Amino acid sequence: MTKTYPKASRPSLDSVSVSIEKGEFVFFIGPSGSGKSTIIKMLLHEVTPNKGRIIVNGKDVTSMRSWKRPAFRRSIGCVFQDFRLLPNRTAYENVAFALEVIGKTKAVARRVVPEVLELVGLGGKEHRYPHELSGGEQQRVAVARAFVNRPLILLADEPTGNLDPDTSIEIMRLLDRINRTGTTVVMVTHDSNIVNQMRRRVVEIESGRIVRDQHRGVYG
Amino acid sequence: MRMKYVLSEVLVGLWRNVTMTIAMIITMAVSLFMLGGSGLLFQKVGDMKDLYYENVQVSIFLKTDVSDQQRTDLDTKLKSDPLVKEVTYVNKDEAYNRFKQMYADAPDLVNAVKPDQLPESFRLTLKNPEQYKSIYDQYKDSEGVDEIVDQSKLLDKVFGVLTGIQNFALAIAIVMAAAALLLVANTIQVAAYSKRREVAVMKLVGASNWFIQAPFVLEAVVAGLIGSILGLIALIGVKLVAGGGSLAALEGLITPISWSDILLTFPLMAAVGGLVSAVTGWVTLRFYLRV
Repeated sequence: MTKTYPKASRPSLDSVSVSIEKGEFVFFIGPSGSGKSTIIKMLLHEVTPNKGRIIVNGKDVTSMRSWKRPAFRRSIGCVFQDFRLLPNRTAYENVAFALEVIGKTKAVARRVVPEVLELVGLGGKEHRYPHELSGGEQQRVAVARAFVNRPLILLADEPTGNLDPDTSIEIMRLLDRINRTGTTVVMVTHDSNIVNQMRRRVVEIESGRIVRDQHRGVYG
Repeated sequence: MRMKYVLSEVLVGLWRNVTMTIAMIITMAVSLFMLGGSGLLFQKVGDMKDLYYENVQVSIFLKTDVSDQQRTDLDTKLKSDPLVKEVTYVNKDEAYNRFKQMYADAPDLVNAVKPDQLPESFRLTLKNPEQYKSIYDQYKDSEGVDEIVDQSKLLDKVFGVLTGIQNFALAIAIVMAAAALLLVANTIQVAAYSKRREVAVMKLVGASNWFIQAPFVLEAVVAGLIGSILGLIALIGVKLVAGGGSLAALEGLITPISWSDILLTFPLMAAVGGLVSAVTGWVTLRFYLRV
């Protein structure tokens, strides 16, 4: 597929074709501006390609109508570099919010949220506010929020970009554990340490083109 | 739970930006008050037209030196005219009596006028008051006719003024509505900005569009409805003041505006207030949130 942003001199992604199997763990790496974040945006149906097709969970979402987008996004979890937590809500409330706004009852939240907070290693810190948590812990809350609805796919856009190396490793262990439950994990990063340690599939993008696609790959 | 969430968000939203909310409600109220007022006036003018034009008369005044022959000719002609429903002849004495009655509080004027100075006349009631023109054309050159006066000319002036007031009220209603619209748009933008983090998360995790938009749109609708209630109260206030005081003298002239008339305009005001707010809010969100 090809994506050209208006006013851009060259396409952000140029004839890129990638197939990711269910349950895989894939890194997209490459320098800033190489187009890797555009892939995440397209998988979220935030931008649509000018050419080509995007198929997620066996469904062609390329020309999906925007009113179908909410239902589509419920099958996808997403984590960002800047956590995107609500500052005036506790860890528990942040995760519960994601459930309640898609129509789940408070009773469901009470059952599921503590479970998933336990899973990400935040047991006992449910009632802390984001500013009372460390960066790593905040990212765990974000992962919990992305995972609480048991999505088929977890997208992570530089999830360790704001974290120190040790904390980054912990977050990666968490993502690895989530991947082992059968969730497909797609992660965009330029943290070479992490890629080298994980030894998972690596897709390298440069100037909008795939220059490498390697199983059990390293950063460079 | 979802309804409760939406409603609490609405109240929090209205309270968070309370000065803007008040401004929005006031402009809305004034606009709807003017709209309701002009609606009432429109209705009343219609009623009054029916009432007055039915009784409107055309007067054919005769020259002072009119001969008996001319008078009799005119009388027969008028009586057989298909456009005329009724003819009454008013002689000089009767005219003088009417004149005395009309100016009873100005005896000097009455004393200065002698019965034979007043013209005799035929008073016609037309089958259709709007056919005055053809009557005028037909009789203006008849012998012995001095002048033809149509009361509906006068009524036209009165109704012209009333219609003018009505249009003025409508114009103010429209201008205020435009201001209210901009305020709604602005309030919603501020509200959406202050909740941008929540909205971003909601979009990300797949909350439905209506669920994201409903609190904002309802915020505007609630303000619109409160505005329409205040507008209704203003109309009731005008009725109370006018009914008791300054306008009571006109009671006989203008058909009175009843309580049911006022209460019946409320659904119109509420519907316009609510609908305009909802549509403005929704359109604003389309541009601002792109949901």
